[in-house]
Amino acid sequence: MADLRINLAGIKSPNPFWLASAPPTNSGYQVQRAFEAGWGGAVWKTLGDPILNVTSRFAAISFNGQRVAGFNNIELITDRPLDVNLKEIYETKKKFPNHAIIASLMVEPKQEKWHEIVKRVEDVGVDGLELNFGCPHGMAERGMGSASGQVPALVERQTYWAKEVAKTPVIVKLTPNITDITATAEAACNGGADAISMINTINSLMGVDLDTWNTVPHVAGKGAHGGYCGPAVKPIALNMVAECARHPHINVPISGIGGISNWRDAVEFILMGATGVQVCTAAMHHGFRIVEDMIEGLNNYLDCKGIAAVSDIIGKSVPKYSDWGNLDLNYNIVAKINPEVCINCNKCHIACEDTSHQCIDMLTDANGKSYLKVREEDCVGCNLCSIVCPVDGAIDMIEAPRELAPMTWNERQAVLSVAAECKADIVK
Amino acid sequence: MSDYQQFLDERDKIDFLIQKGCQINSVREHLNGASVDFLHPNGNVTETLLIGTANGRKYFSSLLISQNQPKD
Ligand SMILES: Cc1cc2nc3c(=O)[nH]c(=O)nc-3n(C[C@H](O)[C@H](O)[C@H](O)COP(=O)(O)O)c2cc1C
Ligand code: SF4
Ligand code: SF4
Repeated sequence: MADLRINLAGIKSPNPFWLASAPPTNSGYQVQRAFEAGWGGAVWKTLGDPILNVTSRFAAISFNGQRVAGFNNIELITDRPLDVNLKEIYETKKKFPNHAIIASLMVEPKQEKWHEIVKRVEDVGVDGLELNFGCPHGMAERGMGSASGQVPALVERQTYWAKEVAKTPVIVKLTPNITDITATAEAACNGGADAISMINTINSLMGVDLDTWNTVPHVAGKGAHGGYCGPAVKPIALNMVAECARHPHINVPISGIGGISNWRDAVEFILMGATGVQVCTAAMHHGFRIVEDMIEGLNNYLDCKGIAAVSDIIGKSVPKYSDWGNLDLNYNIVAKINPEVCINCNKCHIACEDTSHQCIDMLTDANGKSYLKVREEDCVGCNLCSIVCPVDGAIDMIEAPRELAPMTWNERQAVLSVAAECKADIVK
Repeated sequence: MSDYQQFLDERDKIDFLIQKGCQINSVREHLNGASVDFLHPNGNVTETLLIGTANGRKYFSSLLISQNQPKD
């Protein structure tokens, strides 16, 4: 059995799986049941001045039979009085002293407001704080959530205010509704953040009803943009985690969030630099017990690889993530169709013929049977045919023999400009 | 002519000049690819090739890199 414990900036939990601040962590009843099911930590539903919610609040995209491929909400932070939440946090922590309870906080961008809530929450014994600079709807219209999370100076200042009084580690939760998340991540670090977490939800409108012309969801015929999450956002979240992990000025632990549905997703985030992960949509879709598979899967993965502790794989893929200009222009792969596995559906031929490089030929063998073959010299190795192919193993992307030494765009440009310096007539 | 044939054609022309002892002297990149000037070793004769294919442009760039590498 591998060691699944994590220590994120001093916050310890028995495994890397935390519930994200959201409906699953709305109450002591829920968080205690989650801990019983096996979750290592919970970030409590964001605390602040209790809000008023609308109904309905959620919508989801089902894609080709997969329900909840993407999930959208227009729910705000907690609508329960602070004292009620604090009492339940206290009771939960007493029952589960070894599990991590992190209080998510959101108040107006004022120093005294941050001081007040940090002190009150820490009094009941939380293990850490998460500053919610991410909710993209409702709260943002009031200057909180992503409205302050999109302004690096406000992120830095509010983090600093929280840190002025905080005795427990402060995690800053970042909004993805920004062009370059490393700008706000760096601001959080400058404000003294002990860790960062990402992502909160992405601005979205789920749809429009073709008969009523109402938005989906709608509230008495009117809609407002919501926050998008679930499996569909995983690539966006993973990139943001990776960009922060490889940034030279961002040197705090990362809690990865966004579309994590199983142990595989979790391992990807950890390899890309997350110390632990948080989950919301998958728990809302399948219930708390999905954590059993997550723990078992992660444990088996580590055992199979002969790795003693999950902390040993944190960030192992980060050095492999770079800028486009550092990729080898002379590395080539080509598609190879396996006729024994192919069912002749022609999807690959159509894709390559219509939208790629017209290099899958339709041929006929000696028995009059048609088959497909890639003209490897014309194949640019784009992967499209293997992406659209419905049959596993029918198309392999294989490395072509190397003809030229590795050369990146940056190396190429350097040699062109050096040559230009030596011989005045070389022009970029 | 397929892209690949066009590349082979460009590569042959480059290889021919290199075999004659020419070196890449200057490169001008523009909307139609790159104009590459080759200088003959024993004189001031310059020959210019227009290299349009992506693989052709990778090819002469790789040659330029190895040409600039210090020889043992
Ligand atoms: C209904 C709903 C309510 C949420 N409420 C909060 C919240 O109060 N505070 C917060 O920081 N994030 C909130 N989130 C965002 C989640 O914590 C999480 O960052 C996001 O859903 C991405 O993770 P996922 O793809 O696993 O759902 C909420 C998400 C949903 C779906
Ligand atoms: S990898 Fe791209 S170019 Fe090559 S055969 Fe497939 S679709 Fe065509
Ligand atoms: S898409 Fe796959 S199964 Fe269909 S013809 Fe191509 S290789 Fe065969």
